[in-house]
Parts: sequence; C-alpha cells; structure tokens
Amino acid sequence: MGDIGRVLNTTKEAILSHLTALNVTGSNVANVNTPGYSRLRPAFGSIGVIGSSTNDVQLGVKIVEIERLYDKYLEVQLVQQEQDTGNNQARMDLLNNVEGIFNESTGGGINDLLSQFWGAWSQLSSNPSGTAERDNLVSISQSLASMFSQKANDLINIQSDTNAAISDSVTELNKYLDEMVDLNNKVVQTEISGGSAASSRDQRAELLRKISQIIDVNYYEESNGSLNIFISNGKSLVEGTNVWKLDVKTNPENSNYYDIVFEDTPDEAINERLTSGKLAGMLDVRDTKISGYLNDLDQMASTIVTNVNTQHRSGYDLNKNIGGDFFSPARIESPVVASGNTYAATVAADGTYTGTTNKTYTVKIVTGGALGAATYKVSSDGGTTWGAVQTIPVGGTITPGDGINLTFPPDTFATNDVFSVKAGCFAKDMQVNSTIVDDAGKIAASATVNNGDGDNAGSINAIKDSLLMGGGISSIDNFYQSLVASVGNDVADAKRILDHQTAVMNQLESQKEAVSGVSIDEEMLNLIKYQAGYNAAARMCGVVNQMMDVLINLGKE
Amino acid sequence: MITRVTDNMKFDMLNNSISNTQTQYSELMEKLATEKQVNKPSDDPLGMGKILDYRAVKSYTSHYEKRVEESKSWIDLTESKLSSVNDILNQIRETAISQSSATASESTRQIAADSLQPLIDQLRSLANSKFGDRYLFSGTKTDTEPFSATESAARIDAPVNASGNTYTGTVSEAGTYTGATNKTYVVKIVAGGTLGSATYQVSSDSGKTWVGVPTVLASGSNTLGDGISLTFPPGTFAANDSFSVNAYAPGYYNGNGEELSVEVGKDVAINYSITGEAAFTARGSGTVDIFKTLNDLKTALQNNDAEGIRNQLDPLQEAGDQITRYTAKCGTRVNSLDISDTVLKDLDTRLTGLTSNIEDADVVALMTAFKMKEIALQACYEMAGNLGNISIINFIK
Repeated sequence: MGDIGRVLNTTKEAILSHLTALNVTGSNVANVNTPGYSRLRPAFGSIGVIGSSTNDVQLGVKIVEIERLYDKYLEVQLVQQEQDTGNNQARMDLLNNVEGIFNESTGGGINDLLSQFWGAWSQLSSNPSGTAERDNLVSISQSLASMFSQKANDLINIQSDTNAAISDSVTELNKYLDEMVDLNNKVVQTEISGGSAASSRDQRAELLRKISQIIDVNYYEESNGSLNIFISNGKSLVEGTNVWKLDVKTNPENSNYYDIVFEDTPDEAINERLTSGKLAGMLDVRDTKISGYLNDLDQMASTIVTNVNTQHRSGYDLNKNIGGDFFSPARIESPVVASGNTYAATVAADGTYTGTTNKTYTVKIVTGGALGAATYKVSSDGGTTWGAVQTIPVGGTITPGDGINLTFPPDTFATNDVFSVKAGCFAKDMQVNSTIVDDAGKIAASATVNNGDGDNAGSINAIKDSLLMGGGISSIDNFYQSLVASVGNDVADAKRILDHQTAVMNQLESQKEAVSGVSIDEEMLNLIKYQAGYNAAARMCGVVNQMMDVLINLGKE
Repeated sequence: MITRVTDNMKFDMLNNSISNTQTQYSELMEKLATEKQVNKPSDDPLGMGKILDYRAVKSYTSHYEKRVEESKSWIDLTESKLSSVNDILNQIRETAISQSSATASESTRQIAADSLQPLIDQLRSLANSKFGDRYLFSGTKTDTEPFSATESAARIDAPVNASGNTYTGTVSEAGTYTGATNKTYVVKIVAGGTLGSATYQVSSDSGKTWVGVPTVLASGSNTLGDGISLTFPPGTFAANDSFSVNAYAPGYYNGNGEELSVEVGKDVAINYSITGEAAFTARGSGTVDIFKTLNDLKTALQNNDAEGIRNQLDPLQEAGDQITRYTAKCGTRVNSLDISDTVLKDLDTRLTGLTSNIEDADVVALMTAFKMKEIALQACYEMAGNLGNISIINFIK
C-alpha cells in the first residue's frame, strides 16, 4: 500500500544523501593539493524493501560508507622506496660536496702543486746554490703543505657538518615519533566509536613516509588500527601509544662524532643496525667514505714527509750543516680514552715518533688493578694482532713502541679498559719546517759538504718516481690520481643509483595518485551527477507537497 | 599501466621533466662554455685520473726539458772555453818549438818568456771561468776558484765548523796530506757528548759515504786518514755536528774531481761538468799538468835552457790532446742531450694529444645535443602554458 508520508521520507533521505555526496566532492576538490590526501567516495545504498506482494517499494537511499581510496600494498612499496631514496639522496648531497674538494679539472689542486713541488727540487738540483730556486721551493712547499691541510680540514668540516645533521635528523625523527603516537591515538579512539579516521590515516601514512626517509623501519597495523613501527634489529620505535626515542652520544673512539643510541640504552650504539634511510647514508659517508679519503690523504702526506725528510737528512745545506727535517716531522697525538673505561685519570703521551707510517697504538688492560699490578697488551694495527701481556710499572710509564711513551697517573684499571694513541704525519698538520722557512739556505740540496752539486735535490725529485704507495704498487702522484678517480666513481655511482630510485619513486607516486589522487574532471562530473540527484529529489519533494495539499483540501467544499 | 590520470600527476610529471631537462641543459652548457668533456671527477672518473696523470707527466717533462737546456748551456760554455784554451796552447807550442831550435837566442827566449806570462794568465782566467756564479772547472766545489797562480805543496786547510753545530771550539788540524787528489774530509758526530764519550764517523768523499763504525772522539789528536789528524778542544758535541777539512795534493788545483750531474729523465742522470782536475792536471783522470808545464817552459825560456824547452814540447802536445779530448767529450754530451730533448719534446706533444682526447669536448656533438635539449625544454614550457587551458570547468555553465 502506498503511503505519502513514506514518499516524503524517501525524498528527504535522497536530498540529505546527495547533500553529503556533494560535501564529499567538495572536500575532494578542496584537498586536491593536500599531500598524502586519499580521495573519498560516497557509497550510496538503498534502505531495504517493504511489502510482500506486487506493491513492493524501495524505501530510500543512504550513504552507506564514505570510502577512502587507498592501496596499502603500494604504501608498503612507497615506504621501502622512501628509505632507499632518502639514503642515496643523503649520500649524493654529501659526496657532491666532497667532489668539490677533489675537483682538479681546472688545476691548482694537490696534483698541480705536487708536480710543481717535485719540479722545484729538479730546478734546485741544477743550480743548488741559487737563492731564487731555494725561495721558490720553499714557497711551493708551503703551498703544497697548506693545500694538504686545507683539503683535510675541508673533509673534516664535511664530517662534522654531517655529524650535526645526524643529530638534527634524530631530533626530527623523535618529533615524528611523537606525532605518530598522537595519530595512533586519534585513529584508535575515532574508530573504536565507529567513526571514520580517514584524515588521521592519511596523515599517518604521510608521516610514515617521512620517518622512513630518515631511518629504515618495518611496520604493521594492529587490529585496533594502531600502527607499530620497529627497526631492523626488532627494537620498537612506536607500539600503540608507547614511544622509544633515539638519541645521539659522542664516541671518543671515533673523533667524538655521534653514535646513534636509544634513549633508554645509551651505551648501545645502533649505527650498524641502520641499513637504509638518510641516517644510514650520512653515517656511511661520515665514517666510511670521508674517513677513507682522509686516510688516503694522510697516507700521502705521511709518505711525502717521511721520504723527503729522510733523504733531506742525508744531504748538506749551504752552510755545510747536515740536513734537518724539511717538513715538520711526525707527531704523537693526545691519547684517546674509551668511553666505557673505569680508569679515569688523564693519560699523557710523549716521545719522538720513529715509525715510518701513520699508526694507532691500542693499549688494552688484560687484568685490572693498580699501577704495578694491572697487566696490558698492545696492538699497533688497530686491534688485529696483540703483543705479549706485560705489567704496567709502578711509575706508570709504558712504551708501546716506535718511540711513544704513555704515562698513567695512579688510578685503578679494570679489565678491558682501552686507550689508544695516534702517531704519524697527518695531512691536516702538514707544514714546512720553520727553520727552512726562516732560512732557505738550510735546504740540503747537495750530497756533499762542498754544496756545489745538486745531487740530494735530485734524489728528492726522484722520490716522485718511487713506488711508495699502496704497498709498493704506485707512485705518490698516481695514488692521488686514483683517489680523485675513486671519489669521482663514488659520486657517479650515487648519482646513477639516485636517478634510478627517483624514477622508481615517481612511478610509484603515479600509481598511488592513480588510486588515491583527486581528479578535478571526475569531481566536476560527480558534482553534476549529485546536483542532478539533489534537484530531482527536491522536485519530488515539491510534487509530494502538492499531493499533500490536494489530500488536505479533499474534504473541503 | 596507469588508467586514472589526476591533475597532480600531470603537474608532477611536467615538473620532473622540466627539472631533468634543465639539469641536462645546464650540464651541456657547462661543457660548451669550458669546451671540456670532463669538468668534475664524476663526469668521467677514469678519464679524470688519466688527465691528472698526463698533466703531472707533462709538468715533469717540461722540467726535464729545462734541465736539458741548462746543462746544454753549461756544456756549450765549457766547450767554448776549452777551445780557447786549445788555441792558446797551440800558440804557446809554436813559440816553444821555434824557441827550442838552435836559431833562437837568449834575447828571443827572454822576449818569448815575457810574452808567455800574459798567455798563462789568460789561460788561468779561462780555467777559472764561471757559469753564473759557479766555477766551471772546480768539480763540485763550485764556489772555490779552481786554479791558483802559484804552485803550492800538499796542504790541509783549517777545519770548518758547520754553522748549526752545538760545539763551538776551534778545531786544529795537523799532519801532512798524503792523498793523490784533492779531497774534503768530513767528521760527523754520531752520538753527542764530550771528548771521550762522543762518537764520530769520517767520510773521505765530502760526506757522501761514511767509513767504519763510530769511534770515540779522543781528547788528543784523532786520525782521519791520508795523514790528516784533528784535535778538538774540550766542549760538548751534539749528534750531527759536522766538521769539514779541505786537503790539497801539491799543484795549482783547488777544486775536486767530482763531476756535476742532473736528472734529465726518469732514472736518466747526465754528468754535465768537466773537472779542472781531469782537463788541466795530471791527477785523477788527467795525464798532464798544464800549468806546471807552462811554468816550467817559462823558467826554461828565462834560463835560456834549450834542453828544458825541448823537454816541454811533448807535454805541450799532450796538453793539447788532453784539452781536445775533453772538447770532444762536450760535443758527445751535447749530442746525447739533443736526443733527450727530441724525446722529451715528442713526449710532450703526445701527452697534449692524449689529454685532449679525453678532456676536450666535441663541440659539434655537444651543440647538437644542446639544441635538442632546448627543443625539449621549449616543449615542456609550451605544455605547461596549456595545461590549465583544457579543463572540464570551461564546459560547465
């Protein structure tokens, strides 16, 4: 049986549903440029059927659901891709800076100065008493030395800038983790009461991508809608509304650069656990790439200083003196005390370093105790091989080797306390000996005391042809040329990988857009469609109204 | 395959395309502007390494070329001085021959003797010639005038303390030098200390090589060798304090017998100097003492000693031969330097070519690529301009 009231009700529902649909369209159009916004789609559904015979009537319409169009498998791929892209973007940015330091395409760098340096010795060898030749040699040697120290300092600057950036990234990450907890809370609270947390979910997906740019994470969604995030060693960052934040901690064994730790376990560095994301990229460039380049520069500086000095000492200067050191000789740096040591007194190092290469001596306590009781062992190759176990004398001074003395003031040692001391010639400290700078006559150009011959200068010039680097396989020049080539290779590799990953990223973004993005064309058509539906329902309402009038006026005269 | 195209996709795509094209466009621009293919190591890492290598070798080559030039100038000067010496010697020899004959008289010999002295002086001045401020014929003692006017007996100079020595006492020498050639002895303190504890080593070749194990410095006289001994007044010695003593064999020569050498290529050293010892004395590799011969001749002329004059004829002949031999040696050295020079210049040219192959840009190819990028960029802009024009909104009234 027909019922005019029911018709009116159906019309009302149609009007309201279409109004809602228009609202959804409006919000889609409004958010066309909102990052991470997933478009919404109203799902119309009819409300039941009434009647049992030929007069069955559809009761009406309602918006069953406002659907959020979203592909969670695509999201997984995007998160993964963000990690790799973030990693390589960080590497690329830093290596680009490094490349600038080693860019010698226009000349004037270490390669040029090295050629000029050897050339100046050659020149001196043909006129050993010439003042101009001597002054020229001193000035070129100073330029070479300062170029070495400048390049080394440039690299160290990039390292410490990277270090600061690592700390910033950790702070940023912690902020994101807090936001993640907030959003988790919102999603769970909204959905538990049957609401739609579409916008919070969009924000959360976007946030997850930001987090994975910084650090490589795995994640899963719990049945209550909260998102749990953990890093590759299984340790959680976010679990529901709980958060474990990261922190940075200076590591004295790594030039006081930051290690990454969890706030609640500050003694456990997780650097090795990070395999992708921006943080891992920055750590790798800081600790592996730049350290490697620096080490190469140090090796070169050490080889030049040691060999030139040795040869220089076997010649004679203009005043019949036996030659001294041409470059400032090797030095012993301050000892480094490992952060976990029990022993707390300040260790001093002195002596004259006699080694021919740069070395790090590591002293490890074997059995703890006081001076005169504690025993130790020494490694000169960074801990690969160890010498015999010895007792620390009561006086506290031990001689690990190569002329180094280490003095320990009285205090108690614990087993596995570690001390290390670096010695040698480092690029950052390279300089011409001040006595040579003050008096170019002190350059020992001659092999004989009569100083008419330039044979010693000739022998120093010949150092350029000796295969002194890389274990006797390359000359100093060639070693540097390979270094520049390998920096170039690293940059070219990073660029190639980044280009590829950017392309993949763009592809994934397009796929995501295809599913979740807002199309104005589509929304406009929907607008027309819903407007038509609304208009029709409203018209219907008018018709029913007239019918009501007719019905009400039926009893009148 | 993407089936649903949204507005953001269109803008993103255009954005990416423009930024990619711009990057490549500016890289091409850099290459065109520098006309170089390799502007940074990552452009061609291997090529960059080679370019740097070629540049370094080129720089060494140019230095070797300069050394060749310098040695050639030295040898040219030596050759010209020696040939002047030869001319004078010939002139003297003619005089000697004519004065040795029976027709010569005491007065002609006296006149000849008087005219001989300026020639000897002239010859001495030739033998004392300098290249810049270095004596040509004094061996490695380039700051010592090689020939004195008068003959002297074997002698030992006062020892010289090196200026940087810790020890400041005045060392005294003693003994008679018995060496066959001029030598410089050097005493080097190995371990510092005082007399009786400091140790020293001795070198008889101007400090190049050290003989024997370190010996304790005695408070009395310390024997170095060849009859030389030194006495050190008490004082404190530091390691590497050094003392040098010049000792001379009898004659006119003050230089030594060591030739100067210079590297004109990798492991290629050439001796470019001729020592006065070899060219003018009977010591070392020399065979006749020219100044002694001339002075003997002069004495014989003054004494009207025909026999004495005749006795000098053969030595004069040998002197001429000796000078000619070393003049010829100069010629041989110049020849071998010329060969080195050719090789170095050839290497230089080839290095320029090799560097250019890697480094220089192919401007035509670059220009073409540049034009193509320009078109791509224009297309992108064109698209960007029209992107907003086509929209369903235009058709909805």
